[in-house]
Amino acid sequence: MLVNLDPQDARPLYLQIMDEVRRAVVVGTLRAEDPLPSVRELSAELVVNPRTVSQAYQELEREGVIYVRRGQGTFVSPTFRRGAGERRSLALAVAKRALLEARRNGLSAEELVTMIQKLAAREDE
Amino acid sequence: MSGLPESFAVATHGLSMRYGKQAALDAVDLRVPEGAVYVLIGANGAGKSTAMKVLLNLERPNAGRAEVFGLDTGVHGPEVRAQIGYMPESHEHDYPWMTCGRLIRHVAAHYPAWDHTYAARLVEVFGVRPERKIRTLSKGESRRLQFVLTLAHRPPLLLLDEPTDGLDPVMRNRTLAHLAEHLADTPTTVVIATHHIHEVESLADHVGVLSAGRLVAQMSRDELRRTVRRYRVEVPEGWEAPAELRTPTLRRSRGGREVQWTLIGEERDVAARLAAAGATVREVTPLALEETALAFLAEEETP
Repeated sequence: MLVNLDPQDARPLYLQIMDEVRRAVVVGTLRAEDPLPSVRELSAELVVNPRTVSQAYQELEREGVIYVRRGQGTFVSPTFRRGAGERRSLALAVAKRALLEARRNGLSAEELVTMIQKLAAREDE
Repeated sequence: MSGLPESFAVATHGLSMRYGKQAALDAVDLRVPEGAVYVLIGANGAGKSTAMKVLLNLERPNAGRAEVFGLDTGVHGPEVRAQIGYMPESHEHDYPWMTCGRLIRHVAAHYPAWDHTYAARLVEVFGVRPERKIRTLSKGESRRLQFVLTLAHRPPLLLLDEPTDGLDPVMRNRTLAHLAEHLADTPTTVVIATHHIHEVESLADHVGVLSAGRLVAQMSRDELRRTVRRYRVEVPEGWEAPAELRTPTLRRSRGGREVQWTLIGEERDVAARLAAAGATVREVTPLALEETALAFLAEEETP
């Protein structure tokens, strides 16, 4: 699994780690029963506090994305459906960021949506 | 939050220390929760190193007292020091004529908890060459040897004074990654004094800001992220900030009709106050640790 943390991203690191794991599951680079790196491995790789990784894993476990097998490690949950719900929440996160950036530039939501549609149409051609 | 009272690895009570007329520490109340990675930030001479020396009982405070794991450092100096892995700011070692290997054995003898297997691994991780004479070591090599000596007895408290100083970028990253690994393996409380804040930002979960001997801020990262934010607002022509907005302000800059503030408080309250004052909030951003620290320090400098 590849986890990339964006130093410009001001959100708490555990949320960024959670998003990266979710993204990996949604796009299919992580599948049911795939093992996740241990807290120790991931914290050394990302150079983050092991508590931060633990926190991210605990939240993901609570959400049913991953599960812990005692003494064996952490795995992607077989019951976690990478269905419409997950895609929706990913889309929501992306949309929120775009909207924020638009507002910062004094653009309305409408102007942003129109431009995205134009751009997408051009790409489809 | 649990209802249990938090236990502190380090607590100081009205700690004051002066060198002649110069106050190095001025009524400092440090609170480092057990298991925290606490970054102590401040300019040169702000008192970071002095605070560490008091914790080790290498310096006696003029007033106040310090506790490490509940032990008074002034009374239980040796017991306290046995719990601490201390990396001084200085790169000098006490025995320049020894080889690295000899020094490691020498220090090991002082610690019943010394883990020889782990020490051998640390020697490898940090690329220490046992046959080298201490006096021939470069600054970076000396630092790497200090890491071996500091970590090999797995002390419950690490006091690291500018730990990345002298390390090249590759070794710096390897060192911090190893520190993360060490924390995953060993329950440890860490206090890091540094002005290279961004380097340790991802490890830190608590922050203290020292300015001219005074602790001007101390909180968890979560609290800091929540309560210190930058607000970009649009204001009408000739708008003046009402007085109540000026008080908890850390930083302010103005360009045309746009004002940018770093303000302390819950976002909802601050945004409501801004709106009530006739400003339109355009953007609210949490700050990186370094920016927050700079904001606190800048506030102190301007009377």
